[in-house]
Amino acid sequence: MEILVCLKQVPDDSVEIHLKPGTEEVNLDGVDSVVNAFDTYALEMAARLKEAVGGSITAITIGPEKARDAVKTCLAVGANQGYLISDPAFEAADTLGKSRILAAAVRHLEAEAGKPFDLIFCGREATDRATGQVGPQLAEALGVGLITDLVDIEQTGAGICAKQETESGYRRVEAATPCVVTVNKPAYDPRYPTIKSKLAARKMPIPVLSAAELDNVDPGRPGSHVVRVYEPAKRQAGVKIKEETCEESVLKAVAMMADAKVL
Amino acid sequence: MAYLISEEAQELLGAVKEFCENEVKEQCKEYDRSGEWPKEIYDKAIEMQLHMLEIPEEYGGMGLSRVDVAALFEEMAKADAGFATTISASGLGTKPVLIAGSEALKKRACKLIVDGGFGAFCLTEPGAGSDASAGKTTAVKDGDSYILNGRKCFITNGGIASFYCVTAMTDKSAGVKGMSMFFVEAGTPGLSTGHEEDKLGIRTSNTCDVVFEDCRIPASNLIGAEGKGFSIAMKTLDQARTWMGCIATGIAQRGMEEAIAYGKERVQFGKPVLKNQALQFKVADMAIKIETARQMVAHALTLMDKGLPHTKESAIAKCYASDIAMEVASEAIQMFGGYGYSREYPVEKLLRDAKIFQIFEGTNEVQRIVVANNTIGKF
Amino acid sequence: MDWGNHKDILVFVEQAEGKPVNVGLEALAPARTLAGLTGGSVLTLVVGTDNAAAAEKAAVLCDGVLSVEGAAFGDGCTDAFACALEAVVSKYAPAAVLAGNTPLGRELTARLGARMGLGSAQDATALKVEDGTPVWTVPVYGGTVLNDVAVDTVPVLATVRSGAFSRPEAAAAAAVTAEAVDVPDEAVRSRVLETVQEISEAVNLEEAKVIVTGGRGMGSKENFALVEELAQLLGGVVGATRPAIEDGWVSRAHQVGQSGKIVAPALYIACGVSGATQHVSGMSGSGYVVAINKDEEAPIFDVADVGIVGDAVQVLPLMMEEIRRRRAE
Repeated sequence: MEILVCLKQVPDDSVEIHLKPGTEEVNLDGVDSVVNAFDTYALEMAARLKEAVGGSITAITIGPEKARDAVKTCLAVGANQGYLISDPAFEAADTLGKSRILAAAVRHLEAEAGKPFDLIFCGREATDRATGQVGPQLAEALGVGLITDLVDIEQTGAGICAKQETESGYRRVEAATPCVVTVNKPAYDPRYPTIKSKLAARKMPIPVLSAAELDNVDPGRPGSHVVRVYEPAKRQAGVKIKEETCEESVLKAVAMMADAKVL
Repeated sequence: MAYLISEEAQELLGAVKEFCENEVKEQCKEYDRSGEWPKEIYDKAIEMQLHMLEIPEEYGGMGLSRVDVAALFEEMAKADAGFATTISASGLGTKPVLIAGSEALKKRACKLIVDGGFGAFCLTEPGAGSDASAGKTTAVKDGDSYILNGRKCFITNGGIASFYCVTAMTDKSAGVKGMSMFFVEAGTPGLSTGHEEDKLGIRTSNTCDVVFEDCRIPASNLIGAEGKGFSIAMKTLDQARTWMGCIATGIAQRGMEEAIAYGKERVQFGKPVLKNQALQFKVADMAIKIETARQMVAHALTLMDKGLPHTKESAIAKCYASDIAMEVASEAIQMFGGYGYSREYPVEKLLRDAKIFQIFEGTNEVQRIVVANNTIGKF
Repeated sequence: MDWGNHKDILVFVEQAEGKPVNVGLEALAPARTLAGLTGGSVLTLVVGTDNAAAAEKAAVLCDGVLSVEGAAFGDGCTDAFACALEAVVSKYAPAAVLAGNTPLGRELTARLGARMGLGSAQDATALKVEDGTPVWTVPVYGGTVLNDVAVDTVPVLATVRSGAFSRPEAAAAAAVTAEAVDVPDEAVRSRVLETVQEISEAVNLEEAKVIVTGGRGMGSKENFALVEELAQLLGGVVGATRPAIEDGWVSRAHQVGQSGKIVAPALYIACGVSGATQHVSGMSGSGYVVAINKDEEAPIFDVADVGIVGDAVQVLPLMMEEIRRRRAE
């Protein structure tokens, strides 16, 4: 099975991101760039599928030169080859623009390899913007099927059968390949790289695909713009109670709750 | 200043750090209490190949420099010193083969490690600690075999190893020149493990007696030649003890990091306690000691990589790093005040973990003898 | 903003088990604001196999209901849903298309945006009008930063966060119009084989007046029962953080936070909850917050009106005892 995994490099989501004081600029100083968590789930699911049915995984990302690290990370945990899609013309692209660029990359890579991708994996959303748009829009741009929120996948005769998480349980959904799937948190965690796979990934080439390679695809003008950036009003911290004994603390707290008429 | 390492090791360091943060650091707290050997953590470490960092490239290893490996070991030691000890003791157990073993034994030992096993080094006996030459374990040649009898004690990885490098007397009358080194695989009839130690620290590592009762092994499992056992053991320890210095440095580094984090948060008299110069000086002293220890470790390892003599430097690294690990752990507790003495906080464990590094792989008294002999010379 | 000939505001109201989901009805509120700008009507779109109940509920909250009904529009058949939405949008040329920020709402707006070349605002928590232009507040980075976003294309596409808007006051029922949409075979690329209900309990966190939430600090499923007991005592709903759910103490229907429900009860009690951004961003609209955590430095205390430094497992039984005692008096 030929698999493509689309990933995004994002600021480490375990770090609280704030604005530089008095500005509308997000302060990313000292914040590591990591592969979007849902994309790592997507890659792990893809890697398990590959191990089960055979095939190859290609990882791609759109971003500046430093996003190369994200691809390299993926080469150590299941991806067989990787590409960095990078071009000044792509910098302003919104989610729709990015889906057009990705679609152009898919066509380019398929033409280069002489065979189509059977499956295209995306994370359900990125942890920074969390819009969940790129996967569905890529499916539309490619004119192929879409299944969202996967927590498991298996190959079937004509394509794939996916376990899709829902509000109250799950659905089993089947689709013919090629198709796009977006991945939620499965029951398993992404693997760690081995020391050897990490060392090997370092040595693998990560070619850059620029607009020229992608038929000068036009991502289009962004369909929205940011008017202002700010931080939400903070709740004021109240009283912290730490009496000698637990009993005393509780008595004091419940009395305050009663005074506030919330009981 | 951390170790000066290659770019590739820098990348590995990030991955190892992530692994240790997510899979080792917190998880080991509970095992420190129970004393249980955390197999599932080691299984994950093996999967990531952290257990084979010291295996030479030609035998399936990584081909990293020793200083590169040291940076990774320190990261593991910061998370849990017992965890790092298990992995390092496996390296100790492999060294006799790598130093003096036949090609076939080297391949065999390395394969056992690469396939997910650990090694163990069996020198110490109940009556032979610092005086290793007083060992009573014997090996008697019988046709194409040797038959081993005796009891080894305080063997790190004793209960979980895939193979053992064992010293035994082949000629009791010849003293240290009658000692030989043997390669014994786990599961060999006559090999068993005995009493498991309930230790003060490094409780996530396994330490037990290893017993040989008419344990028959192929004669080809002799490492080097008969009578070379003591010399091989000393060469092994010359290398291995630097790694103990590396782990001890990791314990100290953790202690300093914990003390700084706590000192910045803990408010007394209206300000963080670390605003007091008295505590800043404590941190400065920690940093001075840790940095010195680390660079001594690096120096000894660089000498090893270059094939240069390193006996004295290795002894200094181990002795100094373990002494300062005790000092730093103790001062870290002091900076935590009463909380430092509580098991709910992370620093008392560091003191318990650090103590053994002044004792095993040659007590620090023995290290000082080594340093003295190599400094003063014979006169 | 130049709306051209586009006037009406179309709101896709999703259904679950024959009922309209809350966030879909809530989206009718910002729709009304937008209709004030364009001078159009608020139209609800319901799509499904049996829309009667949902259409009836929505009819009293808007100016007209469009109902696309048929066997093709079964639960999870998103290809058909996308066709229905596209067909209705083509026919009515609305000025804006809104939906709840559910998986389906996100997917449908994404697909419509791709088909029509539209920008969108996703997961909006507020709507302002600035110089005649709608400006949506969108949380990013887990809610620590807010972007005010204007969509530049028409129809304006937006999804709204659950609990961010209050559904409009009910009025006289509007007409329900059946819309026939033909779904071509080639448009259907996926097929639902089976739908499995794992969580049967109805958890209404969005409308709860009291929520008692347990986090990792509860330690075990057995201890988590204390959270449930306090919630019951206070007539509230049980909430949970992601770690508590991942450890299997309670079903994910209880999740409060960025990837769960956004809540705003009068009283919120956080037990053994550290206060990660992803959680706090989902409960910071609460009226009165009580936090119980043994870690004095836990960030949850920064947003709590009353914080008890102590182990929630010890604190909760004492708290329940004290509340019962006060009630008995």
